[in-house]
This record gives sequence, C-alpha cells and structure tokens, in this order.
Amino acid sequence: MDVVDLARTQFAVTGSLHFLFVVLTLGLAPLVAIMHTRYAITGNPLHERMTRFWGQIYVINYALGVFTGLVMEFQFGLSWSGLSHYAGDVFGAPLAIETLVAFFLESTFLGLWIFGWHRLPRALHVTCIWLVTLTAYASAFWIMVANSFLQHPVGSVEQGGRLVLRDFGALLTNPNLVFALPHVISAGLWTGGFVVMGASAYHLFRRTKEQEFFTRSLRMGVVTAFIGSLFTVGFGYAQFGVIEATQPDKFDAAPEAALGLMIGIGQLLQFGVMFLLLPLLFRNLLARWRWLHPVLMLITPLPFVAAIAGWLVREMGRQPWLVYGKLSVADAMTPGLSRTAITGSFIGFAGLLGLLAIIDYLLIARAVRRGPEQVSLGMPDRPAEPAPMPAHSL
Amino acid sequence: MEIIWFGALAVLLVGYFALEGFDIGLGILLPVLGRSQEDRDRLVGAMAPFVLAGEVWLVALVGVLFGAFSTLEGAVLSGLYPLVVALLLTWIVRDAGLWFRRRADGAAWRTLWDGAICLGSAGLALTWGTTLVALARGLSAPLLAPAGVAGGIVVALAFCLHGWTFAAWRLPGDPAVRGARRTGRALLLTALTAAIPAVLAVAVVASALIEHAAPPETLTTLGAIVLPCVPILVGAQVWVWRTFSRGALPTFF
Repeated sequence: MDVVDLARTQFAVTGSLHFLFVVLTLGLAPLVAIMHTRYAITGNPLHERMTRFWGQIYVINYALGVFTGLVMEFQFGLSWSGLSHYAGDVFGAPLAIETLVAFFLESTFLGLWIFGWHRLPRALHVTCIWLVTLTAYASAFWIMVANSFLQHPVGSVEQGGRLVLRDFGALLTNPNLVFALPHVISAGLWTGGFVVMGASAYHLFRRTKEQEFFTRSLRMGVVTAFIGSLFTVGFGYAQFGVIEATQPDKFDAAPEAALGLMIGIGQLLQFGVMFLLLPLLFRNLLARWRWLHPVLMLITPLPFVAAIAGWLVREMGRQPWLVYGKLSVADAMTPGLSRTAITGSFIGFAGLLGLLAIIDYLLIARAVRRGPEQVSLGMPDRPAEPAPMPAHSL
Repeated sequence: MEIIWFGALAVLLVGYFALEGFDIGLGILLPVLGRSQEDRDRLVGAMAPFVLAGEVWLVALVGVLFGAFSTLEGAVLSGLYPLVVALLLTWIVRDAGLWFRRRADGAAWRTLWDGAICLGSAGLALTWGTTLVALARGLSAPLLAPAGVAGGIVVALAFCLHGWTFAAWRLPGDPAVRGARRTGRALLLTALTAAIPAVLAVAVVASALIEHAAPPETLTTLGAIVLPCVPILVGAQVWVWRTFSRGALPTFF
C-alpha cells in the first residue's frame, strides 16, 4: 500500500467505527427521551426503570462515539491538509458549527443528564435528555451538510486555486443532503429499534422475571424499527435520481457488493418488520412466541452491517475525488506525509479504538444480560465525606 | 470579524486549560492522593460531572480552527503530527478510564482503569506543554527539543496544582487532600495559573492567526449562526457549575 492508500484506510476504519456507535446514539436518544418523558408525566416506576436501563446502554455506547469522533475531527488536519487548504473556507464552516454549537451543547447537556439524577428537578432533567437528542440530530445535520458538499460541491467558486464561499444556503439545500439526511437518521432509528428488540428478545427468551418490562420494550423496538426501516428504504431509493444527476459514475466506482448488501438487508428486513413483526404485536404474540426470539437476537446486528455498507457506497463512489470533480484524494493528502507517520498513527488509532470498541460492546452485552435490576445510571449519590473509619482498639 | 474569531479561538484554548486542566491534574494525582479505592472513587466522583463540559472546549477549538482559520488548520495539525497523535491517544485513554472504571465489578478492573486515567492524564499534560512550546517556536523547529519537554513538565505541574486545589475546594477537609480546604477564590487563582501557558502561546501566534483568517464571507456566515448561540453555550456551562459544585457526589464514573 502506498501512503495515500494507508491514509484512506485509516480514515475508512476510524470512520466506520465512528458510525457504528453514532448510528445507535441517533436511534436510542429519542427513545430514552420518550421513556423519560413518560416517567416524568406518569411517575410510573416502570418508566423510570426503562429510562435508566436503556439510558445506560445509550451512555455506554456514546463513549465510543466520542472517542472515535475525536480522531475523525483531528484526522482532517493530520492526513488531509490539502482539503482544508483548498476547501476549508467552505467545508470548514459546517464542521465548525457542528463542534462549537451542536457537540458542545450535546456533551454538556449529557453530563447534566447523566450526573443530574436526584439533583435536577424532574422537568429540567427531562429537558436535558431532549436537548441531548436535539443537539445529536443537529450534529448529524451539520456533518451531513459537510459530507454532502464533498459529494456535490455547491455554493462556492474557485478563486486563486481555492474555493470561496458564495451561497451558504446552497450548502443547506444540497440535493445530496435532502434525501441522505433523513436516510441516515431513519437508519439510526431502525438500528436503535433493533437493539431494543434484540435485547428484549433475550430476556423474554430466557424467561427472566422482567416480562412486562421487556414486552413493552419489545413493542417500542418493533414500532421504532418499522418507522425507521420504512423511511430508510424510502429515502434510500429516492437518492438514485439525485445520484444520477450529480454523480453519474458513482456506482462504477463504488463496490457493487456493498450496494447489493445494503439493499438486500434493507429490503428483506423492512418487509419482515412490516409484514411479520408489526402484525405480531397484536395481543403481544411476538412477546409470547418464544421460538421467534433467537431470530430477533440474530438479526440485531444487520442494520449496523447495512449502515456501514451504505457509507462505503457513498464514500467509495466519490473516488478518486475528495471534493467531487474538483480536488482528488491524492492531491488532498498532506504534502510530505511520511509512511512512518501514517503507519504509526494507523496502528495507534485502529489498535486503541478497536480494542475499546470490543470492550464497549462487551460492556453493553453485560448491561443487557444483567437487566434492569442492576443499573448504575441514576444510582443514589454518595456523601462527599468519606465513610467513617472503624475505631481500632489500642 | 477576524478579531472576533481570533478572540473565540483564544477563549476556547484558555478556557480549555482553565476548565479541563484540573481534571487532567487530578487524574495525574489520582494514585498519589487516592491511596485507597474509596478515596479514588471520591476524587473521580468530584471531577466526573465537569469532564464532559470541559473537554468540549478543545473539540470546539479545533472546529473553529477548521472553519475560521482553514489554511492554518491543516498546516498546524499535520506540522505537529506526532504530538497530535499522542494527544489524541492519551486523551482517549484518560476518557476510557473514566467511562469504564465502574462498568464492571472487581477491584482489579477499577484499578486498571484508574491507572489508565493517571497515565492518560500525565501523557495529555506532557503532550500539551510540548505542543505549546512547538507552536511558539514555529513549526519548522524540531518538535522534541529540551524546551518542549520542559514545557510539558511545567504544564503538568500547573495542572496538578489546579487539580489539587479543585479537590480541596470540592472535598473540603477530605483525607485525600490531607484535610485541606480551599475557597472558590483559590480555585480561580489556580485556574488562571493553569491558563498562563495557553495565554502565552496564543499571544505568540496571534498575528499569524489573524493573518490567516478565512475570508469575510465565511466569517460572517459563521458569526451569524454561532454568535446567537453563545448565551446558550455559556448558560449550559454555568448550569453545570451551579449544579455540581457542592453536595453529594455522583457515582456513575
């Protein structure tokens, strides 16, 4: 592999890892916010337990989204300084807004939500998780604005070898954004729905004592997956016209297998959710038909696979361009980037993030297995004073 | 407009050193102050609610660098390549320690991640000092000079002082700080101390930064969207400090 290929692979590996966690964050955040709202309104302890259990899974997953996201943000400058040099005055604006406004608030409000149990008034505490959801979606919006600019560089003109911003509104109404954004957000809901569904199926199959808890969760997971899958598939097909018009050679450059995999998984699961799982919510048949539960557990990872395949199609279909038709990937690479530097950072990032990702998934699996009885999110605070030492007799 | 965005960049860097410096310093001191697991749990509980709100200042800083000083963003980050990689790796190790230490049972598990917090924090502070010296000397100078190492040690010491003062302010009279008590005024003073290296670095690179600001179209657009949000950003930070400055300690981290 030459240096450009190494830098590309580093970006693809860290970017794919990032999206594995982000896609679940986008799906779980609104579900946790809805559960918390129900608890705040009804005061029903079941809703409190649901908020804490699914909220803890959301939070464990969120950690890796941040770690991988940090590497993504800095990587532009490390490996692709040609991009910021050529297009930074345009492409940098949505990224700056994402970090300075959306992520800044998302992380601050999430801290208030995680550590604010027993401390914030209930209404304000619920407001925090809704603000976390809102800012997470705002993050997705600005990142997709930036990404869509790379696919279809609107709103700018080239002057003296660099792109200059002319029409910011054109970036926000980019045809490559308007269908792709709801596609990505719906895929998040679908993934979140499947994780809730799969984890619920585990407890129902094992016949743990949390039958009511997971029957309700299963219902919420299936309904979410239905809504998510319907819009993911719809906005997926809707993009073909835009791609035909703006990137006619996209599917020559993209790996055909990835496109086929995404569409195959997407179409099959969407029909399965709509025609099988959704009707089986009638009289809780799905929760009672225990033989189906292993299937629900087995298909849980599929939306993740489809999501990564989708990103590979979108990004590889842009090749050999970084900014489509204007700046090639090779020209965007940091001048003089050495093989030693990129190899070292690749091993460091992929090794550390890969290891932490595995640990994180094991911790999520552990939290699911232990169930709602042993949740540390929202546990009572402890006094600031140390516990009194037992008196020693002399 | 250039001056406003230079100001934003300066505030974010200085704010990061003042508001995240104590978390990093306390992380370095964790095994020293927290001899027992019980002590370490209290120390981590004291700083935990501030970490998420503190580290976002750096994320925002790099975003502003990209959006408002784009020609510098690539040059600076790639010019400091090994330092930026080290900064990211140590930052992630520190954060992983915080997020994971209570996610499984067992003394060995928590001790392992407490070690990650300490090593990650120490690496982060040393890398920061080295990075500031490298920035001030200009990117053509070698990155790892004795001055850089000295800068790293100075920043680490300043963060440790800030971290210790934070602990003595948030946990007054606690055995982990040998019964010391510090006022909010003392904490403000060590925050300013921790921020001095950042202030100096910003002062040295100020003219180069302003020269490389993005064109007015970009800066005006950014300003129109970001400036109305500033009261919300500040309000959220104030809310965190008002909520978690005293009282019982959260137990999630």
